[in-house]
Amino acid sequence: MAENNIECNSVVDGNVEEVPNKKIIKFNPPLYKQRYQFVKKLVEQHQPKKVADLGCGDACLLMILKYQKCIEELVGVDINEERLKWNGSRLSPCMGDHLDPRELDLVITLYHGSVLEKDCRLLGFDLVACIELIEHFDSEDLAKFPEVVFGYMSPAMIVISTPNSDYNSLFPSAVFRDSDHKFEWSRMQFQTWALDVANHYSYSVEFTGVGEPPAGAEDVGCCTQIGVFRKIAKATESAVLEHHGKHVYEVIYTTSYPSLQQMDYCRRVVTYLVYREVNRMKRRYQVSLRQHELEPESADNGNPTRKFISDPPVPVLTEADKAMEMIPQPFCIGDKFYVPLERIIAYPRLGHICGNVEKLREFLADVVELNCDGSAVKVDLHDCGDY
Amino acid sequence: MSGRARARARGMALSPSAAEVGRVQASPLPLSVALSDSEASSSSDHVGTSRISQKCEGGLSSGDAGCTFKERVGKIRREMMDLSVCTREKLAHVRDCKRGSSGIPVKLVTNLFNLDLPQDWQLYQYHVTYSPDIESRRLRIALLYSHTELSNKAKAFDGVILFLSQKLDEKVVELSSETRRGETVKMTVTLTRELPASSPVCMQVFSIIFKKILKKLSMYQIGRNFYKPSEPVEIPQHKLSLWPGFAISVSHFESKLLFGADVSYKILRNETVLEFMTDLRHKTGMSCFTQTCEKQLIGLIVITRYNNKTYRIDDIDWSVKPTHTFQKRDGTEITYVDYYKQQYDITLSDLNQPVLVSLLKSKRNDDAEVRMAHLIPELCFLTGLPGEARSDFRLMKAVAEETRLSPLGRQQRLARLADDIQRNKDARFELETWGLHFGCQMSVTGRVVPSENIIIQDHICQPVSAADWSKDMRTCKILSAQSLNKWLVICSNRAERVTESFLNCLRRVGRPIGFNVNHPKIIKVQENPAAFLHAIQKYVDPEVQLVMCILPSNQNSYYDSIKKYLLSDCPVPSQCVLAQTLNKQGMLMSIATKIALQMTCKLGGELWAVEIPLKSLMVVGIDVCKDAFNQGMVVVGFVASINPRITRWFSRCMLQRTTADVADCLKVFMTGALNRWYTHNQGLPGRIIVYRDGVGDGQLRTLIEYEVPQLLSSVTEASSNTSPKLSVIVVRKRCMPRFLMETGRTLQNPPLGTIVDSGATRPEWYDFYLISRVACRGTLNPTYYNVIYDDNGLKPDHMQRLTFKLCHLYYNWPGLISVPAPCQYAHKLTFLVAQSTHKEPSLELANSLFYL
Repeated sequence: MAENNIECNSVVDGNVEEVPNKKIIKFNPPLYKQRYQFVKKLVEQHQPKKVADLGCGDACLLMILKYQKCIEELVGVDINEERLKWNGSRLSPCMGDHLDPRELDLVITLYHGSVLEKDCRLLGFDLVACIELIEHFDSEDLAKFPEVVFGYMSPAMIVISTPNSDYNSLFPSAVFRDSDHKFEWSRMQFQTWALDVANHYSYSVEFTGVGEPPAGAEDVGCCTQIGVFRKIAKATESAVLEHHGKHVYEVIYTTSYPSLQQMDYCRRVVTYLVYREVNRMKRRYQVSLRQHELEPESADNGNPTRKFISDPPVPVLTEADKAMEMIPQPFCIGDKFYVPLERIIAYPRLGHICGNVEKLREFLADVVELNCDGSAVKVDLHDCGDY
Repeated sequence: MSGRARARARGMALSPSAAEVGRVQASPLPLSVALSDSEASSSSDHVGTSRISQKCEGGLSSGDAGCTFKERVGKIRREMMDLSVCTREKLAHVRDCKRGSSGIPVKLVTNLFNLDLPQDWQLYQYHVTYSPDIESRRLRIALLYSHTELSNKAKAFDGVILFLSQKLDEKVVELSSETRRGETVKMTVTLTRELPASSPVCMQVFSIIFKKILKKLSMYQIGRNFYKPSEPVEIPQHKLSLWPGFAISVSHFESKLLFGADVSYKILRNETVLEFMTDLRHKTGMSCFTQTCEKQLIGLIVITRYNNKTYRIDDIDWSVKPTHTFQKRDGTEITYVDYYKQQYDITLSDLNQPVLVSLLKSKRNDDAEVRMAHLIPELCFLTGLPGEARSDFRLMKAVAEETRLSPLGRQQRLARLADDIQRNKDARFELETWGLHFGCQMSVTGRVVPSENIIIQDHICQPVSAADWSKDMRTCKILSAQSLNKWLVICSNRAERVTESFLNCLRRVGRPIGFNVNHPKIIKVQENPAAFLHAIQKYVDPEVQLVMCILPSNQNSYYDSIKKYLLSDCPVPSQCVLAQTLNKQGMLMSIATKIALQMTCKLGGELWAVEIPLKSLMVVGIDVCKDAFNQGMVVVGFVASINPRITRWFSRCMLQRTTADVADCLKVFMTGALNRWYTHNQGLPGRIIVYRDGVGDGQLRTLIEYEVPQLLSSVTEASSNTSPKLSVIVVRKRCMPRFLMETGRTLQNPPLGTIVDSGATRPEWYDFYLISRVACRGTLNPTYYNVIYDDNGLKPDHMQRLTFKLCHLYYNWPGLISVPAPCQYAHKLTFLVAQSTHKEPSLELANSLFYL
């Protein structure tokens, strides 16, 4: 009861270094943040799609990773159910995610369970992070751990961080950094263990760390030592296993983000972008008309289909606008203003989302009025709908 | 936004309209610019906070049950304050029963749901102290929550105050925990209060429980309401999304605890503030871009892209760019660009955009430090509508069409919410642990009171529809009208022809109703506000009875300047008509009829009456609204009847600053009205009933402590022997309950004259709901009446019927309106002053309805 009530891998011990009694060793940014930054950088470098944080605690690492655009599945596993319950809602999409959806789907799930148990939902990951986790295992659990994570889950990449006890000589007291730590390894101990595991499960491993030692004590190494493991052989069996494995973990929280991969969100975004572009072009057209009114001799009143003048008098032409001059231009018949779909799709963001005109037409069906052959968007020229 | 615009913008002095900024800068307190994101603004001094700061600052009041209790309990919500004002116990005649009796009973479905609690349910409030003291709220919560003693118990904790639905074994419980650092922390949990379910504190706890539940149902809190962004209604042509949602409340009605929900929509702009600015710049050109931009944006609420917070735009800082640096709480400097990239993986596209400035409210009520948040326009979405959009009728129509719900549609939404709450596992669990049971929708029995007869000069008519009797009285003579002999018409040259035909029309419709219109003097002027005003100044003399202006456009400057001059400087009744209105072919007769009636009223005429059984009754309407220009000023309108028939009115209006001033001013007005009554009726009225509109949440006590005594003192001073009896009724057009009538398989709005005085009323008040309006589409809102003072001792039934009668007397509309006529008159008057003239109208006009 009296101990272990804040089962948090890194919040607390991350700060231990900051508040020692005599000698103050202060990391800036704080050490725990440096560890998360390290994982975030790995993600930026390797662009994994599926990422799991084992021993996710308060889900702070997940909070950072949820903003990464490449990730499509984010999983946190922890043994403390209460903590997961409190923190789950922090991971839910925010209102902005509905207004400006992500490009890719994102599902975040928090599982209650022990990382020493096998659950098939943890198969097939690209990156598994075990930040300040292994030092909480007793020897029996530590022995089981590689078999589960390396052997069973077998992700493409694993990152493991743990305290470097060589560094502890710089601390005033001789005890472990945290009362729940079962061991703290020297670099030699960690690397021996890591290489052994890596060999056994066909991973390569690189060692690094965060929390640079102070000047004059470089030989103790970084305060946190990190091993980055990468799978050598490509596993093919995991995909098969996925369907037959057991569900051991309990889902505490799960959320799915709106994204452009979802039809309704995609259609909505496309519609807005189209309206925005059409209105922009219409406004330019109106401005050009007004200029013609000032110089009546240049107005071509006889011709009902007037060529759109793309030179906007107010904004300077951007490079993109110049490129657009090559593409079919908006035109006007009577009091209707038409923008060819080809012109709309040339707008880079829409081009990126829709790909081709057929797809765009499909998106706009029933939502936006098109001309009779479906080749252009049709709006009222004098609609003062925008304010 | 181009660099050019920026350079121009920067060269320009900030307009003085940015009063907010001036105030902040004048403040002697240090300003720390905190980034909108909490990570940057939270301190990381103590264990645990640094990682969780986002949560603590996030204002997620129910993400975790205990999160923001201190603020909420410390600051009782304003409508809760009203509930502690028990007015009914002082009113002996309604202590036992406040229900009326007349009318036909009707069964109504409400939007209230039963919330059942065990009989002996209590809430236990504990105070928790830590030794050694721990500052981090999150750590405090974590230490306490992890105790087996408390796990599996329904609890809400803000770090100091703990609420439990089950009592602990001991009054004082000592717990000890060890932090991960190995430090032993002793926690003392002391019982401070046992609260019955009816306590206002419990209402707040219930509200927080429901906030938590609605979040579980994927709803997001904006302001006080909850919205579902995953099911938006789209209006793409206007760049709008409407998020459906609910306003909720938990409260005691009569004998029951009820959960109320009303459908609400949040309007969101599907564009960022940056896009809005770029658009605006194209439209306005650069010369007045910054002013227009500030005018349109300041005061609006934005949602950020990256967190769930809303901010009010208080200013725009044109001198700060995303490439500038700011100081994080830990002292390090970082550019906005880098910050958003690092924190949220967001790349800013426009490095020239300015920043929006939002002043952050201090959560702890001590205004020790004014903090500002800088927001990047590109990362903010606008909510609500700017003023300009509100006057775009196409847009408003589109919004109305999407948000208007039929009675059945509304009921379906409610049923779905109830279903979601009952089916969601987490929601059910949450309710169960607190011992709450979400029950069925409540029905009440209302009464439909008989319809009223309308008295016109030569006969009494029973209108076909009480909602609109314009047809019934098209050719009837009105009660009294002065003939219009000397008057002016000012129009532009262009409008001469339409003016002529309109005047013909006016004469034609005037004759049958008894309103004689002579030829006016027509003055033709140029199309500009100054020319109109100049003509008025030149031609108006004391004999002119009325000035009519045919305005070429609905630009405010015409209307405002004319009204200001003719209301205060040179008091003459005036009638402004838009030229384009007169161009509507085929409508001219009905337009002329309406204008003729308005002109009659402005000259002091009376149109119709209803039967008032009480002899010698004065009714008064009071409304208060904010002045559009002068911040902190309120406009007080006071309209009192000055004849027993209730057809003639005395109207006063004044600008005031404080609530005490408002009360003082009401005393002056009341004395003035009594004098006026005295001169007209050679005596004082026997009874006075005051309808007070424009009351905000939490103001009930002020009304009882200041306004009622001032009104009373005016009344008692008026006579040495028997002074008039006074009643004061608070009128509210917005209230949570709604009533729908079941007819066969479908639902309808209840009929006109439906009164509800049970079930959905409050036990501590003498209150009732009245439906005095029809809606062809959409759902009706009842008007809520709360009698806070009553010397008259009328039976509740008579009070209700009288109120209904008074809803028939608004001369600008031949039909029933949603509030008693004097309230609507007072509203019309205050609106005119607050929006257009900003100046007290002359006393000379007080005897006519000059503001119609």
